[in-house]
Amino acid sequence: MKVSYRWLQEYTAIPWSPEELADKLTMVGLEVESISRLGPDLAGVRVGRVEKVEPHPNADLSVCQINVGDQVLNIVCGAPNVRVGIKVPVALEGAVLPNGMEIKAVELRGVMSYGMACSEKELGIGDDDSGLLELPDDVEIGMELTEALGLDDQILDVSIYANRPDCMSMLGIAREIAALAGEKLHYPQITVKESDLKIEDLTSVAVEDPDKCPRYSVRIIRNVTLQPSPLWMQQRLLAAGMRPINNIVDITNFVMLETGQPLHAFDYDRLSENRIVVRTPKSNEIKFVTLDGVERELDREMLMICDAEAPVCVGGVMGGQNSEVTEDTKTILLESANFAAASIRRTARSLAISSEAAARFEKGIDPNATIFALNRAAQLMAELAGGEVVQGIIDVNNADISERVLHLRPQQVNRLLGTDIDEQSMVDILNRLELKVDHSSKPWKVTVPSFRRDLELECDLIEEIGRFWGYEKIPTTLPKGMSGAGGETRELAVVDQIKEQLLGAGLSEIMTFSFVNPKSLTQSKLDPLPIFAQPIALANPITEDHAVMRTTLMPSMLECAAYNISRQQHNLSLFEVSAVYLADELPLTKLPSEQRRLAVLLYGNRNKAQWNWQTEQYDFYDLKGLVELVLDNFAADYQWERSELPIFHPGRQVQVLIGEKPIAYLGEVHPDVQKNYRIPERIYLAEINLAELLKYERPVTKFQSLPRYPAVDRDLAVIVSEEVPVGALVEELKQAGGSLLQTIDIFDVYQGKQVEPGKKSIAFSFVFQADRTLTDEEVNDLLKRMYEAVQQKFGAVLR
Amino acid sequence: MDTRIQSVKSKAVQEFNQSESLEELQQLRVKYLGKKGEVTQLLRTMGQIPAEERPKVGQMVNQLKNELAVIYEEKYAELESKIQQSRLAAEAIDITLPGRKPKAGSLHPLTLVLNEIKQIFISMGYQVVEGPEIETDYYNFEALNIPKDHPARDMQDTFYISGDYLLRSQTSPVQIRVMEKQEPPVRIIAPGKVYRSDADVTHSPMFHQVEGLLIDEGITFADLKGTLQVFARAMFGPDTKTRFRPSYFPFTEPSAEVDVSCIMCRGEGCRVCSDTGWLEILGSGMVDPRVLEHVGYDPDKYTGFAFGMGIERIAMLKYGINDIRLFFNNDQRFLDQFK
Repeated sequence: MKVSYRWLQEYTAIPWSPEELADKLTMVGLEVESISRLGPDLAGVRVGRVEKVEPHPNADLSVCQINVGDQVLNIVCGAPNVRVGIKVPVALEGAVLPNGMEIKAVELRGVMSYGMACSEKELGIGDDDSGLLELPDDVEIGMELTEALGLDDQILDVSIYANRPDCMSMLGIAREIAALAGEKLHYPQITVKESDLKIEDLTSVAVEDPDKCPRYSVRIIRNVTLQPSPLWMQQRLLAAGMRPINNIVDITNFVMLETGQPLHAFDYDRLSENRIVVRTPKSNEIKFVTLDGVERELDREMLMICDAEAPVCVGGVMGGQNSEVTEDTKTILLESANFAAASIRRTARSLAISSEAAARFEKGIDPNATIFALNRAAQLMAELAGGEVVQGIIDVNNADISERVLHLRPQQVNRLLGTDIDEQSMVDILNRLELKVDHSSKPWKVTVPSFRRDLELECDLIEEIGRFWGYEKIPTTLPKGMSGAGGETRELAVVDQIKEQLLGAGLSEIMTFSFVNPKSLTQSKLDPLPIFAQPIALANPITEDHAVMRTTLMPSMLECAAYNISRQQHNLSLFEVSAVYLADELPLTKLPSEQRRLAVLLYGNRNKAQWNWQTEQYDFYDLKGLVELVLDNFAADYQWERSELPIFHPGRQVQVLIGEKPIAYLGEVHPDVQKNYRIPERIYLAEINLAELLKYERPVTKFQSLPRYPAVDRDLAVIVSEEVPVGALVEELKQAGGSLLQTIDIFDVYQGKQVEPGKKSIAFSFVFQADRTLTDEEVNDLLKRMYEAVQQKFGAVLR
Repeated sequence: MDTRIQSVKSKAVQEFNQSESLEELQQLRVKYLGKKGEVTQLLRTMGQIPAEERPKVGQMVNQLKNELAVIYEEKYAELESKIQQSRLAAEAIDITLPGRKPKAGSLHPLTLVLNEIKQIFISMGYQVVEGPEIETDYYNFEALNIPKDHPARDMQDTFYISGDYLLRSQTSPVQIRVMEKQEPPVRIIAPGKVYRSDADVTHSPMFHQVEGLLIDEGITFADLKGTLQVFARAMFGPDTKTRFRPSYFPFTEPSAEVDVSCIMCRGEGCRVCSDTGWLEILGSGMVDPRVLEHVGYDPDKYTGFAFGMGIERIAMLKYGINDIRLFFNNDQRFLDQFK
């Protein structure tokens, strides 16, 4: 909310400069986001009155005599609206306008001009450049324009929290300032002179939906004259960022800014049967033109202000064109109502209207405020528009406006804040906020005025005391009594550890969005798989790219790779640990399972090409090794099995199973998918179900004494048919090797020269170890038996 | 005989000394000290000299043999050392060429910042816990004292799913889930992803928060101030000042916004802090008694505080990152800066 420093001073004395005030307000919870001067520096621009206008002899311009107070200047002017009698801003010789133009005496086509009459735009105070800015009649000739228009005011932009609609008004903010400064708050003096005519004879109000409209108060003002508002009111509105329109509309806006109560002025004569009905629209009333000229589509829930026949206003949100005040308006029906916050919020939302009125009503304002604001506006209409206020008010009041009395235990104040504020200070603070305190017995009884509907509990009162005592004066201590050592859940600790391992293996961690484009499943050929196929959709996504919650991390990884590759990053080794979201059924009937997964992606070369280091491309086995590294953290029995995921190359993929349950998929990405993501080279991708793995403990570390006897190394190279998986050979060799066989390494797999087509040569190296010295003979015997085992089972022959 | 020995000796010493390679030296050893060597030959001629002179001559020859052996050893060591020196000199390499550095991985900057935050609170006795990202209206709003149509719902543009399900817009629902399961005292932080329908240079539809909650007997607002001051100093440096401003959150009362002295200008005023000298980094407050009642805690017995902060905001301040989207684009050139 834009708050004029000068205007505030009408309601309370401010012992601080605008900057100091901004600080004070911020520290009491009314955050001042900026302070700015209302208008630009316009030194040397004065109010002038046009005394004489003659056409320019040599051009399509006017030659004017303008009285600027101490002299009358000859000024050449091209504005179409220049005429005798109007008051306009005049930039004198030497003045510099905000656009940088320096004013000099110049000859314009043979006529001397000693200054310049200015438009709004030339002065930098508006966008209108169609002609001269016409000033109100009551400005004094010769006055500095800045002073005349109050442009040297300071404007504080105050952000108001959702629970303080009372502060969306000058009086509300002034109340806080007065409480801070210990000064008095001056309410405007209101006297309404009423005519003999009774309001009941002129109109009636029927509220058919009191839940949505708890209170509807009306006055009628007759014989108003529509004209521009006086300067002082225009200044106030401009300072608050509102445009002056005419005296009637300006008064409703002014009173709203002053009191926080929105008002609406109807043209009484344009209301059918001159009466008001507050109701929701009928089925044939769904089209309605608001006063901004836009045709709106209503729904049956929206509260409308209607006349005898049809809607004339979207209640509390925006008026209608059909009842708008115009130049011909003579009689005003003035509404000061209270509308239910929820209904206003819903209506304003669905019509996409953000009006000053709706901004106040939707936060829930004081139903007691309608009469005060109504009278204030009636008074101003009488004073400024020559109106005659009809006797009486129609006030349909269904609001619960009983005063709230809260209990306050003074010792609880200090107990909660950790302070030792004395009781008198507490009472003082509450009194300054217009809260009455009965402290004759404990607990105290505190009466809360109806404009502070945010104060509901004792703790709310404690906050008020804390705010005005000053948060900065509250001591800083640490909680007593430690609740033991802090730490992480086991899952988080293991995840951190795996991240460290992958970091050590040269991988970079990434973080991608949890929501994806539903097409990403098709793009990565994962859509036929039921395990991925049922993503949870958002009801209100920002874009289709973020429309569903992901069921797999794999498409996000590919997208990230594609993003980097298109930015010339050709070697990638990435991982992410994030949840996927799996619904049992859709629409959701219970919370979905959020499963923590780890995805790993490899692309390009393992290392940069360097003078002494050959680059090597990543391959399937780099990826498999990383998955093995992760699996080593858990004491579970894994099987590696061929898998058939369409995202992967059919011959280069594998799944890891625990029992029947797949817990990881990995492989080289299928060329079709690679193409869909515009990835030029082979790319490797794994997804591991960490949530499932985290159910298993870490392998137990148990010390084994170091061997005291030397180990024996032996190699064996065999040739088998190329279909035989090496894993099967290893299993068989392990079986045959028994307990003496410590390790098996595969140091060569070869096809080519010297090996028959369709066959492959595999070279193993074994380490044998026992708790004694092994003899050559027994090792050779064992090696022979191992060879015979694979010979029998796989037809292996010695190479 | 004497002269013969002397002449062999002087010839041998000279030749040994003049030899320039190990091979030559080896040949000389054979020539003089070998089985058929000249010194050995001298012993063979012993028969030709008178018997009484034989012991003396024998002694002289043996002495010669020993002397030559010593000379040989010395010469050998000298030559060997020379050879090694020249080999080492020839083997000098260009030490300006780059080393074979293993590829270094990197943790995401948000993980780095979160790890720092976690360590600070763990050292103060907090447990790190987690909660679901897909939540119900009850946990995200109702239980936090934000009923339907409450204006505070406007403060957060929530992503909805269907029915009562939504993406949590804050980590605060974890407070409720923890308190439902556990009796006081409670001392937790809950980091995690949160979602709001907002996207620009400083807002991301997905971002991260850390929630904190402490409930016990006799916890005060002063304790909140003290705790967050300790945190701010540990996170931003020992000279960091904190400022608590009254604020509004439906689930805390009193509430406070926490500013720290600007980490760029140390409070002098700069572009980053919009010349205020302060940076807003935390929302906090004393847990509203209605929230405590919701989970069955007795608000007359227990009090506590809660706080929440955005990890992206802190990371952006800490590393001087000006666009929140960089965190989720995962450009390798961005990630590489956090090694």
